[in-house]
Amino acid sequence: MTRKYWKGLEELKETPEFIKHKEQEFPNQQTIEEFLSDDKLSETSTARRDFLKFLGFSVAAATLAACEAPVTKVVPYVNKPEDVTPGMPTWYTSTYYDGNSYASILVKTREARPIFIKGNKDFGFTKGGVNPQIVASVLGLYDSERLKFPTAGGKVASWSSIDKAISSALKSAKSVTLLTNTVISPSVKRAIAEMSTSLNGESGSKFQHIQYDAVSYAGMREANMANFGARIIPSYDFSKAKTIVSVDADFLNSWLLSTEYTGQYAATRNPDAAWMSKHIQFETVLSVTGSNADYRGMIKPSEQAAVLAYILKGLGENTGVSTELNPSAKSAADVAIKALKKSGKNSLVVAGSNNIGVQQLTNKLNEKLKSYGTTIDLSNPVNLFQSEDSKVAKLVKDVVAGNGPEVLLMMDVNPVYSLPNGDAFAKGLKKIKTSVAISSYADETASLCSYVCPGFHALESWADFEAKASEYALSQPTIRPLSDGTASALESLLVWNGNAKRGGKDSSVAYDYIKATFATKFPTSDFAMAVHNSVMSQALIPSTLVYTDAKIGSLPKSADWEVSFYQKAGIGTGVHANNPWLQELPDPITKVTWDNYITMNPVDMKAKGFVTTYDQEHGLNLTTVKVNGKSVTLPVYPLPGQALKTIGIALGYGRGANGEKIGRAAFQTKEYGGYELSETGNRKPIGANVFALVSSGTTFEYSGAATVGSVEGIYPIAATQIHHTVMGRHSIVRETTLGIYQNNDKEAYNPAHTLQKLDAHGNHVEAPVSEFDLWDAHPVEKIGHRWGISIDLSSCIGCGTCLIACQSENNVPVVGKDEVRRGREMHWLRVDRYFASDEEAAVGTRKNKETFSFDKAEYAAENPKVVHMPLMCHHCNHAPCETVCPVAATTHSNEGLNQMAYNRCIGTRYCANNCPYKVRRFNWFNYPAYKKFTEVNPAQDDLGRMVLNPDVTVRTRGVMEKCSLCVQRIQSTKLAAKKEARVIADGEFATACSDSCPTNAITVGDWNDLKSMIRSKSEDKRAYQALEEVGVKPNVWYQVKVRNEENSLLSDLQVVAHHGKKQH
Amino acid sequence: MQKEAAIREPLILGHKTYHDITEDVCRPIEDKAPKMWYTLFGIALIIGLYGVGSICYLLGTGIGVWGLNKTIGWAWDITNFVWWVGIGHAGTLISAVLLLFRQKWRMAINRSAEAMTIFAVFMAGLFPLIHMGRLWVGYWVLPLPNQFGSLWVNFNSPLLWDVFAISTYLSVSLVFWYIGLIPDFATIRDRAKKPLSKKMYSILAFGWSGRAKHWNRFELVSLVLAGLATPLVFSVHSIVSFDFATSVIPGWHTTIFPPYFVAGAVFSGFAMVQTLLLVMRKAMGLEAYIHTKHVEYMNIVIMVTGSIVGTAYITELFISWYSGVEYESYAFINRATGPYWWAYWSMMTCNVISPQLMWIPKLRRSLMFTFFISIVVNIGMWFERYVIIVTSIHRDYVPAAWSMHFPSHIDIGVYVGTIGLFFVFFLLFARFFPVLALNEVKTILKGSGQSYKESPDYHKHH
Repeated sequence: MTRKYWKGLEELKETPEFIKHKEQEFPNQQTIEEFLSDDKLSETSTARRDFLKFLGFSVAAATLAACEAPVTKVVPYVNKPEDVTPGMPTWYTSTYYDGNSYASILVKTREARPIFIKGNKDFGFTKGGVNPQIVASVLGLYDSERLKFPTAGGKVASWSSIDKAISSALKSAKSVTLLTNTVISPSVKRAIAEMSTSLNGESGSKFQHIQYDAVSYAGMREANMANFGARIIPSYDFSKAKTIVSVDADFLNSWLLSTEYTGQYAATRNPDAAWMSKHIQFETVLSVTGSNADYRGMIKPSEQAAVLAYILKGLGENTGVSTELNPSAKSAADVAIKALKKSGKNSLVVAGSNNIGVQQLTNKLNEKLKSYGTTIDLSNPVNLFQSEDSKVAKLVKDVVAGNGPEVLLMMDVNPVYSLPNGDAFAKGLKKIKTSVAISSYADETASLCSYVCPGFHALESWADFEAKASEYALSQPTIRPLSDGTASALESLLVWNGNAKRGGKDSSVAYDYIKATFATKFPTSDFAMAVHNSVMSQALIPSTLVYTDAKIGSLPKSADWEVSFYQKAGIGTGVHANNPWLQELPDPITKVTWDNYITMNPVDMKAKGFVTTYDQEHGLNLTTVKVNGKSVTLPVYPLPGQALKTIGIALGYGRGANGEKIGRAAFQTKEYGGYELSETGNRKPIGANVFALVSSGTTFEYSGAATVGSVEGIYPIAATQIHHTVMGRHSIVRETTLGIYQNNDKEAYNPAHTLQKLDAHGNHVEAPVSEFDLWDAHPVEKIGHRWGISIDLSSCIGCGTCLIACQSENNVPVVGKDEVRRGREMHWLRVDRYFASDEEAAVGTRKNKETFSFDKAEYAAENPKVVHMPLMCHHCNHAPCETVCPVAATTHSNEGLNQMAYNRCIGTRYCANNCPYKVRRFNWFNYPAYKKFTEVNPAQDDLGRMVLNPDVTVRTRGVMEKCSLCVQRIQSTKLAAKKEARVIADGEFATACSDSCPTNAITVGDWNDLKSMIRSKSEDKRAYQALEEVGVKPNVWYQVKVRNEENSLLSDLQVVAHHGKKQH
Repeated sequence: MQKEAAIREPLILGHKTYHDITEDVCRPIEDKAPKMWYTLFGIALIIGLYGVGSICYLLGTGIGVWGLNKTIGWAWDITNFVWWVGIGHAGTLISAVLLLFRQKWRMAINRSAEAMTIFAVFMAGLFPLIHMGRLWVGYWVLPLPNQFGSLWVNFNSPLLWDVFAISTYLSVSLVFWYIGLIPDFATIRDRAKKPLSKKMYSILAFGWSGRAKHWNRFELVSLVLAGLATPLVFSVHSIVSFDFATSVIPGWHTTIFPPYFVAGAVFSGFAMVQTLLLVMRKAMGLEAYIHTKHVEYMNIVIMVTGSIVGTAYITELFISWYSGVEYESYAFINRATGPYWWAYWSMMTCNVISPQLMWIPKLRRSLMFTFFISIVVNIGMWFERYVIIVTSIHRDYVPAAWSMHFPSHIDIGVYVGTIGLFFVFFLLFARFFPVLALNEVKTILKGSGQSYKESPDYHKHH
């Protein structure tokens, strides 16, 4: 401690000045008073020049300050809430049910806001299966047009006055009807039963509960009533079915419990497993399910019975039903007979029809195959879709005639929209003395009711479910209700029946009631644990139901032209028509967004003179279709695979036709923003409602005779894909058959790319592509992580769930119809859909290399094979985008990622041009602010903005963006592992797409981890890289699509050609 | 003084004296502008302002106002850029390369050709700027020391090479042009009567006094700059072609591009010179200096470069088939027979067939025909760039991403606007600058003038 430091020379020299002020920390301690009282102060003056200097400075400073970007305030927590750590997500288990889809889900919340939904892979019979609607439903929470307060007679009223009015109306009324969608909640059922008891007493008939679904499955229940004596829908297990025959049942997209079936189905589609299912589909409109089938017969809706009868006949059962079939269906039916004979009881036949007779034939066929007990479980009935068409029909008839109930309570239904005679029902509804709607929106029905009682959003409320007898499920709130004026629907029922008191925003009425239900069901179980897992399994009573033959009900009649109504992956029955993500989700088959249309086979279209091609500037022809005396005018879409002389139209469109406030994004918008208005000044709906065209007989029938008009002009179409075939490019899509795959080595069906080079002796030799390289290798191999993706084309069903999950995770902007039409959708992940052409033996394999015609290859075959191919950034190790960026805004990470620095990007778009996969997306406009996107982009709405993922930047105008391989998730996975001082486990990191895939077609992971799934998938016999020969060395692999079919042409090409090559 | 064979046609027609040349060149500058000039200037200005308006709208709203999409990231913007750069090739070629080759006929045309070059490069340079998504950070393409961390430009990117190539070319051309103008400005200065114009021209003339020393330095600098500019003539368009050639896109990734682009550039540049000069010689009474002989020489250049371009087209087709690359061969099948067949065949007709007509002496000496062909060639060359850029990327590797391009009215507005602006500049040039290198032309009066060739004096010597 001998060294000494001085503050300055003064200290060293110890000047008297220094010594004097040594103890004084701040020099010149003159107080303000002293300063101001100085007489000389007034003598000083500010010179003119000084004044101007100060003035100039102040003006400049003020101007500069005013130029600053607006200040956004962040309010910090004063006290940290439990479970909320800023920056860290909290996941909640929950359950999704909207009357049409059901799934066990996980909800991700950030700073107490739900921002992402995915399937729950650990609990619940759906095993992680979800669909685009479920993933997108989180956006619905933040819709600013969702009702905030209850209304009476169209005016905002208080809950207490409404409760009083409804309660007294219930008591005094002579007849009360409660119309709901299928109630699968034991608690709601209990509340309804209590209401029934208190209103009906022991034997009264004053109160009636009718269940009504937008799309009815009553036909199935009635058929089972006839054959088994029970109005049930059994559980189906596709995972046990070696042969699957589906007659117009789109079980991978919309039919029944599709969220459960997708996973089961995918499990049977693994060509490496002990067996692979054979799937034969008979259908009218080319559906998601049909596009995945091994064989596909095109049938008119009226031929459904004939297909089943034909197969039954082939199995030695005569039904008395006509077995007349068209050639396409006949050949597929012959395959089905052969396969069904082989698989016997391990078969499953399903039919999508709501016709009792068709369902009876299906039952008969399943009985003949002895599938009951193997693939069909009668002891575990499905509680979904309990719509009672006859009761609904009677109620509608009464209401229309003005004889409706005195009080009509409606909960989660929209009959004015979804009934065939919704208009008449609307008129009748006005005559009802007291009509009450429990609805989140002032929709077509609610807007006509005397009282509208807004319920909670599913993510705000407690609920319980019993979708199947085997499982009890719970959903829990993930956010405090956003508005003060909403209340749980269950609470409303209880309050009106006098069983509870309103609890306000933070009411525990519903919670207590559900807990009580739980306690009676599971007296010994812990409720908290049940909420944690979201499901409880229930014991089943073995079924004693026995099949008995019954007289086959009346079957659909054939007509010259027939129509089939179907559900699209995004819009379904129209509940989510206000969801811009779903409106912009390209239909899995047609790739059209923001519209419904009439599907027709191009062969028919040519005969009728409709245009069969379209692009940004060339729309499709409009025409008018008449069904049941009602007509609808829509564009005609050329859909290969559509049965000849049939058309298909999607349900769920044309919502809000009278300008009802059903959501900001539910309406047509103009080219420069703002809504398109109809003559009456209302916002124009998107597409047309075809529920009005559905015929109601014994059951609602979603098909029938139609007349198709002629060309009526041109309508612009917004599709994300305008070229539909892969042009025989084997390097992009590879397809083979199970037979070829099992009996040959890789070279036959998945040959490696070779290029010619000169060897040491100057001879031309073939060498693998990997030997040719212009560039130095990136130091990603064997060092650190190298992230990669593998996509199994055999498992991918093309549903589009990954696309929505990606949009939700990565704040991908919605751009609206006009921009999609211009080819500017922003989706980071797209699902390419390829139809086989007549020039191809399978998608991507040319029939004859010599005579291959590019002209003909541009057009799909009449009934084409289909391949779905998800495509995102390939994170090429030799990325062509990286070399061409003048400012190095896109670079390679040392973990193999191709990363994009948005704030470095100057927007030359060279990277996008130079991308062989065309996955880069450019911000053509300022999507979060430009007026064109105000109506469609949730990021432009104060409430909608809350859905944005805080981990991902919202991109500005003029910069490029693309798939980041969910780099924010990689980082958080790495951080979690680092904190625990361990290596990242395989499967720990998942991207939004892989996380949400219902068929587990997408595998992600660290390729440098030699034991990882991604590594083994990439080294699999079926693994190939798209466009490998371009030499960009992508980090994405695909697995060859394997179809369980006989394809002698393909076999000749792959096997014979391969062996021929070997002999050389 | 260089002697010339008598059988060569004179380069200056009529019995011009040195004073006549001065008068002919300076008169339009000193006289009042004719009504025609105002009319043309007005039209050009209106079109130009429309273009400026379109650009302002583009910059204010976003690149989305153009007809581009996720597949086609460049279309009219880069087509116009390459087209204008191509046009901007003739001037320097004429003034630099022809100077080195001692082609005296260039003296009548080099001034206006260079002016055209500079204005065309202005227009060309506009497009890379406005095509950027974020023009306001466009200076990041310059390797400037900065405070953004260790951010540097990417020297691998051909776009960066473009920045250097175009800016070098523009600055060298500008200096070359200006140096040539100095003695002529001095002449105008010496003749100017109005004080303002005298002042202006004396500033522009840089104190030129016409001393032998000045002329000596002038010649030397011209030669040095010609030496500098000559490689640039070839490098600029070679580098522009690298924008495409270094990519992986079939139809872009072509090693033939550098020579093919340079030939195409000279081809289109000469055509533009023809278009402009044929009008200018008539309007400004310069028929004696720019006449059939000049036109014929330029037509021969057009014919030769047109043949090179045609050969390149056919070579490309052959190689696409011969390479055996699936995507490459489809790219060319698609060009010829796909949805943009009309653009391809317009290009083929305009660029391959039309210059071959120049083999016929009668046609290449016809001024009307030349004027017509010169416009046809530039239409063809615009289509060439459109074909290369759009038809290659609209259908590249992944068919699901294939798309079409339709221009928006802003695309058209910006393009037409640059033509307007170009003429605004050119008309201002014709009004205030000596359109002929008058002092240079004087040097050939004795050797190549009609008077001299017909004089008995000349025949006596030989």
